[in-house]
Amino acid sequence: MDPSEVEFLAEKEVVKIIPNFSLDKIYLIGGDLGPFNPGLPVDVPVWLALNLKQRQKCRIVPPEWMDVEKLEEIRELERKEDTFTPVPSPYYMELTKLLLNHASDNIPKADEIRTLVKDIWDTRIAKLRLSADSFISQQEAHAKLDNLTLMEINTTRSFLLDTLNCMYKLRSNLQPGSKYISDVV
Amino acid sequence: MFITDIRKEFYDVVVNQRVALLVSSEIDALCACKILQALFHCDQVQYTLVPVTGWQDLGTAFLEHKEQFRCFVLINCGANVDLLETLQPEEDSIFFICDTHRPVDVVNVYNDTQVKLMIKQDDDLGVPSYDDIFRDEEEEGGNDSGNESDGGSEPSGKRRRYDEGEVERRIERQRATREWEARRREILFDYEQYEYHGTSAAMVIFELAWVLTKDTKDMLWWAIIGLTDQLVHDKITHMKYVTDIATLQRHVSRHNHRNEDEDNSLSIDCMRISFEYDLRLALYQHWSLFESICNSSYTSCNFKLWSMHGQKKLQEFLADMGLPLKQVKQKFNSMDMSVKENLREVIEESSNKYGMKDIRIQTFGVHFGFKNHFLASDVVHATAALLESTEKDDSPGDNFIKALDCLSRSNLERLHGGIDLAKKKLMAIQQTVASCICTNLILSQGPFLYCYLLEGTPDVKLFSKPMALTLLCKYLLKAFVRSTRNKRCKLLPLIIAAPMDVEKRTVIVLGIPPESETSDKKNFFGRAFEKAAESTSSRTLHDHFDTSIIELKMEDRTKFLDALITLLS
Repeated sequence: MDPSEVEFLAEKEVVKIIPNFSLDKIYLIGGDLGPFNPGLPVDVPVWLALNLKQRQKCRIVPPEWMDVEKLEEIRELERKEDTFTPVPSPYYMELTKLLLNHASDNIPKADEIRTLVKDIWDTRIAKLRLSADSFISQQEAHAKLDNLTLMEINTTRSFLLDTLNCMYKLRSNLQPGSKYISDVV
Repeated sequence: MFITDIRKEFYDVVVNQRVALLVSSEIDALCACKILQALFHCDQVQYTLVPVTGWQDLGTAFLEHKEQFRCFVLINCGANVDLLETLQPEEDSIFFICDTHRPVDVVNVYNDTQVKLMIKQDDDLGVPSYDDIFRDEEEEGGNDSGNESDGGSEPSGKRRRYDEGEVERRIERQRATREWEARRREILFDYEQYEYHGTSAAMVIFELAWVLTKDTKDMLWWAIIGLTDQLVHDKITHMKYVTDIATLQRHVSRHNHRNEDEDNSLSIDCMRISFEYDLRLALYQHWSLFESICNSSYTSCNFKLWSMHGQKKLQEFLADMGLPLKQVKQKFNSMDMSVKENLREVIEESSNKYGMKDIRIQTFGVHFGFKNHFLASDVVHATAALLESTEKDDSPGDNFIKALDCLSRSNLERLHGGIDLAKKKLMAIQQTVASCICTNLILSQGPFLYCYLLEGTPDVKLFSKPMALTLLCKYLLKAFVRSTRNKRCKLLPLIIAAPMDVEKRTVIVLGIPPESETSDKKNFFGRAFEKAAESTSSRTLHDHFDTSIIELKMEDRTKFLDALITLLS
């Protein structure tokens, strides 16, 4: 899967905006949105929020978890635990990037948030790499990965699967029997 | 017709239609175009952008697009000539003109249907009143023909008495008409004699954005650049500049207070505009201080840096400030912090001693990211250099697009490229000025000064473009006024001619008003050039939107000049 596809899926998440125009309820295939009244917060998917923001028709309210203290706590928790801790949102990385690129003037302390989210990401990816490494070296049959987000899985998916395929081929080559060799080739 | 409510009469009309944007090739127009494009993107208006460099371009662009578009928006072109006469549009074409060229042609002002001017009426326009210039011609003709037919059918006796009365009245009417016409000619002559510039187009369009509450810091920055362009190319008086800076300063404070307070500081990547009372040295933060002092017209003319004496004075000046030569000659960013700290105040104090009272000027600067800091004048110089770049492969359309791109924040390499080109241009100007003064190339022709750049002059290709030539001309006049001892010559205007196109053997001729402290920047050369060209039937092309810039065949140069001399003396 391409990272841009993951970002596309992340854009379906809901975020709160404060529009400056008025519009009646709109009926889209994915669901109903609105009605929009100036100054009153309304929940919309991220793709619409970003489009409206770029056309200067709304102000984006940062999600609750996008706050310096909360993210600091999550980061400390992540660093202490060996396994993966629950994430603030299943698409936390993509949402941070999208919102901070397009609406950083609506989000207070944007630079610190960016640094904190990057720290959390780095810690989790490091744990993922360690886990993958031990999985392969100790030839375990299964691993338990709770609380991983799609983007993190995506970073390691192609590499891990290719590696496991290669190892399977190498191992099955060591087995006696010509039919396996012909299979492999 | 003047537009009073720019939102209802312009934007609401235009937002539902496809629009053709015809933009003149100058920085102010580019900035206004950028702001308008941003507004159009917000509201998803379909538009076509056409850069135009002169009246012929405007005509061809109009012909190409008149089938498909009803609404035309003209930026910095079209106000000072009778537009309907020149373009011959259909009945339903509407023209919205946002132009700084004054005086606005009277037909454009009094046309109620097709020509809408986005110009504030409190800009001192001095348009003559309607009755002074226009009069119903029909009554005249009707009465005369009516009288003649009456005269023919009456019996002769009565007719004679009737005729005498009639004849007297007709003579009276004709005399009144002649008087009225003479007064009209005089009024129009006074009105159209001097050419000058009004409020920046970028500022007018920014006000539109503000009224729509869609103004952003980017748009405010472009408005600032538009105003600074008028200052750098000496199009407006200092008073007007200061007034406009005050207006923009209010907008800047409004934007700065909107988002920032103690707890929630803005991300470093956001654009921050700040008011600066900064030095009048071109590009000094992207160059070394020494180079910048040598190549800025203000300092160079005050020190007379084309002479040895001037160079020595400069060294004294630097020593007086306590700035070591090694520091001053290296890139500004690499100078020691201790030297940079109070640089502006130190320079101001010392320059007061050397007779440069206003080395500091009010302007704005912008910060975004950690290392990007630009002053408005830096961006103006860079964009002007890109717009008029004389590299071999660049067509005017390409240059326009490149210059337009360098105004947006995401194209920083282009901006830096422009700054490098601008440095070369400023150095070329400095060297040309030095050589002209030292070889006494400026001659007094009686009512004006005249300078001709020969074809072999280095960098003469740069000066075939109007903006670069204007800068050179103004710099040259300032330098000449400083270096000459002849008191009368100091009050004369300057005409400069430079080769424009070598194959077609044409020169570009430009005239600027005399240099003075309280100059009102009003230029009378437009009309003078027209009259001189007519009287000698020289082959000229009055293509540029500024009527004081024309193209002339090389062979007709001498007779054109002679005609000018007789005209102006």
